[in-house]
Amino acid sequence: MENLYLGVDIGSVSINIVAIDEQNELVFKLYTRNSGNPIQLVKKGLAKFKQEVEIDQYKVAGVGVTGSGRQLIAYVLGADTIKNEITAHARASTFYHPEAGTIFEIGGQDSKLIIVEDGIAVDFAMNTVCAAGTGSFLDHQAERLGIKIEDFGGMALEAERDVRIAGRCTVFAESDMISKQQYGFTKPEIIKGLSVALVRNYMNNLVRNRVLKGEYIFQGGVAANIGIKAAFEAEIGSEVIVPQYHDVMGAIGIAMLAKRDVKRSGQESNFRGFDLTEEEFATKSFECDDCANNCEVIKVIADGRTIAVTGDRCGKWTASLITDSSITANSSKSETTQTVVKDQAAAEEKLDLYKTDPEAEKQVMQELEELEKDDQTEKEDNILV
Amino acid sequence: MRLSFPYMGPTIVYAKLLELLGHDVVMPPRPNKEIIDLGVKYSPEFACFPFKVITGTYLKLMEQGVDTLVTSGGHGPCRAGYYGEVHKKILHELGYDVEIIVIDSVRDDYKYFYQIAKRLKGNNSWLKVVQVLKIVYELTKALDEVEKKVEILRAYYDNTVINKIWLQAQEDFYTVKDNSDIKKYKQRYLKKLAAYSDQIPAAEDRLKIGIIGEIFVVLEQSINNQIEEKVNRFGFEVERSQYLSDWIRENILPFTANDLKEIEHKGEEFIEINIGGHAKENIGHAIDFKERGFDGIIHLKPFACLPELISQSVMDDLSNKYDIPVLTISIDEQTADANVLTRVEAFLDMIKEKNYREVM
Repeated sequence: MENLYLGVDIGSVSINIVAIDEQNELVFKLYTRNSGNPIQLVKKGLAKFKQEVEIDQYKVAGVGVTGSGRQLIAYVLGADTIKNEITAHARASTFYHPEAGTIFEIGGQDSKLIIVEDGIAVDFAMNTVCAAGTGSFLDHQAERLGIKIEDFGGMALEAERDVRIAGRCTVFAESDMISKQQYGFTKPEIIKGLSVALVRNYMNNLVRNRVLKGEYIFQGGVAANIGIKAAFEAEIGSEVIVPQYHDVMGAIGIAMLAKRDVKRSGQESNFRGFDLTEEEFATKSFECDDCANNCEVIKVIADGRTIAVTGDRCGKWTASLITDSSITANSSKSETTQTVVKDQAAAEEKLDLYKTDPEAEKQVMQELEELEKDDQTEKEDNILV
Repeated sequence: MRLSFPYMGPTIVYAKLLELLGHDVVMPPRPNKEIIDLGVKYSPEFACFPFKVITGTYLKLMEQGVDTLVTSGGHGPCRAGYYGEVHKKILHELGYDVEIIVIDSVRDDYKYFYQIAKRLKGNNSWLKVVQVLKIVYELTKALDEVEKKVEILRAYYDNTVINKIWLQAQEDFYTVKDNSDIKKYKQRYLKKLAAYSDQIPAAEDRLKIGIIGEIFVVLEQSINNQIEEKVNRFGFEVERSQYLSDWIRENILPFTANDLKEIEHKGEEFIEINIGGHAKENIGHAIDFKERGFDGIIHLKPFACLPELISQSVMDDLSNKYDIPVLTISIDEQTADANVLTRVEAFLDMIKEKNYREVM
């Protein structure tokens, strides 16, 4: 039986699931649009996985989850590794392209720049305040122009003239686009203008004054857009490589990281198995007002059973899940331990093990003297007043 | 006079100061969603984020019949210098008759400081004032000392355990009456924390992050998305550029803080003139952290903060020259926790990977 490693990328626009084997060869790949119910989509994805892959031949030895929705799905799947997209993308990229120096990654709602030296990420930047220059922006404009997003990039290459479109903000880009349209620019020209604006935006916000080096890799959902690729190449004056599996690089990367973590720890995977496709999941959240922190506590419930609690900073709710005892029993227990600790502390204090730092003491004394001096001058001031 | 003040960092210190001087003090509420929303609603749109949070805090305090607010001033081109005046205007326009007492640095205007001090001291003798100041200063130093330990230990031990001790410590410190109390609690909590110090690995395995930035977002956990705890959770120690005792040393006690001058001097390499806030000091702190062997810098900048915007623009050069990674995070009411977490995690991963080569 061969080992398989699952990688799941829960992005804002797409949900990707991949499986790799020991040699990092892709055994399964799925790219689906995130329509807003990630748990349902992951369940469907796993069902498809079961159909396509002879699961009797394989054993899932590790699961990794990445993307902005990683926390919840990680509980549902029983993930071994939960990591951010940047680390995952860098990992996959440097595996397929060991000479990579610069990675452009444009996803649904964020864009990233990763600088790599000797296969290791040394610097990164991510769009800070808004979603301008990301996949969602293009999606929206394509819809406005009545073009399928898949054809969007190809059309840009048909443009004959250049037109400059304000690309800083989605809304302003739209009004600029409309005004340019009435000047008689064609759709392909407008699309090319948008692609150039997106790249210009990326360069100004993320690259800034960084010096870019090495092989240029372009990945993420937007990398499918040949218009953007061409705009990048024109901007940096060098060839840009789009990896074969550019749309699922995050999922591949996290699967590799899961493999590494499982190997390093030498433990069995926490994977909850394919049965979860039959389980019902729900989440509940509430604001805990027991202290000033007002944490938002999130509960993950599977088939009526709470399987995870997260979000509490003090650990009270998380702990309640582990001990599985009633809250009253819990609190009385903690009370007794508290008094024990108090007694202990009092006893320790009697021993007076604490020695003051002579240096610090000297300093304090000096400060005190200065303060006293100050006090006296102030008193004199007082008399004068 | 029914007094209160903005919520920033260990508030017990200000409360203690005013309380010991015999004032009727109302503890300000900790900034939460409601307060931030309130502040954003009634502040100018392009005011910096701390201003908005403080507006919200003041408005909330108005419900409790506070008639006087004590706050700190600022110097140089930073807008913090106008906070007092603008807040007064906003509150007056909303129909609250309230006085705002601004404590400016004793170094800026000795006479003005003296006037303010005279007002706040009430019927107390100057001797009493100095005694109170001494207690409060000792209190902040003790708190900062315990907190620095907490910021290290949380990286290596269950943060819920360490947090509990820290919360308890703050509560106990609130009850102090004199210096012997402070000493007692300091010893107690340092000892409690010392029990976990065997968790700290050998010096070469320790990873440290320095947090620099605008004082309000650096000090106030509730609005900086608990950045310190986040960093700690990934096994990194944290130290901030700002502690309250530093602020007191710098602004209230006239004869100390020479070490801070030195740090500021270091910052002159990148920012030659005083541009307000702590921009120059922050650059100095970044260099200082590097010299002390820290592995990375997280730079917190409130959205629309002028001095920190400038320091952000020199961070790239600083990072190159001193070979230390810097992550700048912009903070305002729109900041989502997931975004901050992703950036912090990626940043810390990057630092870790530097020291770790894979065996495939």
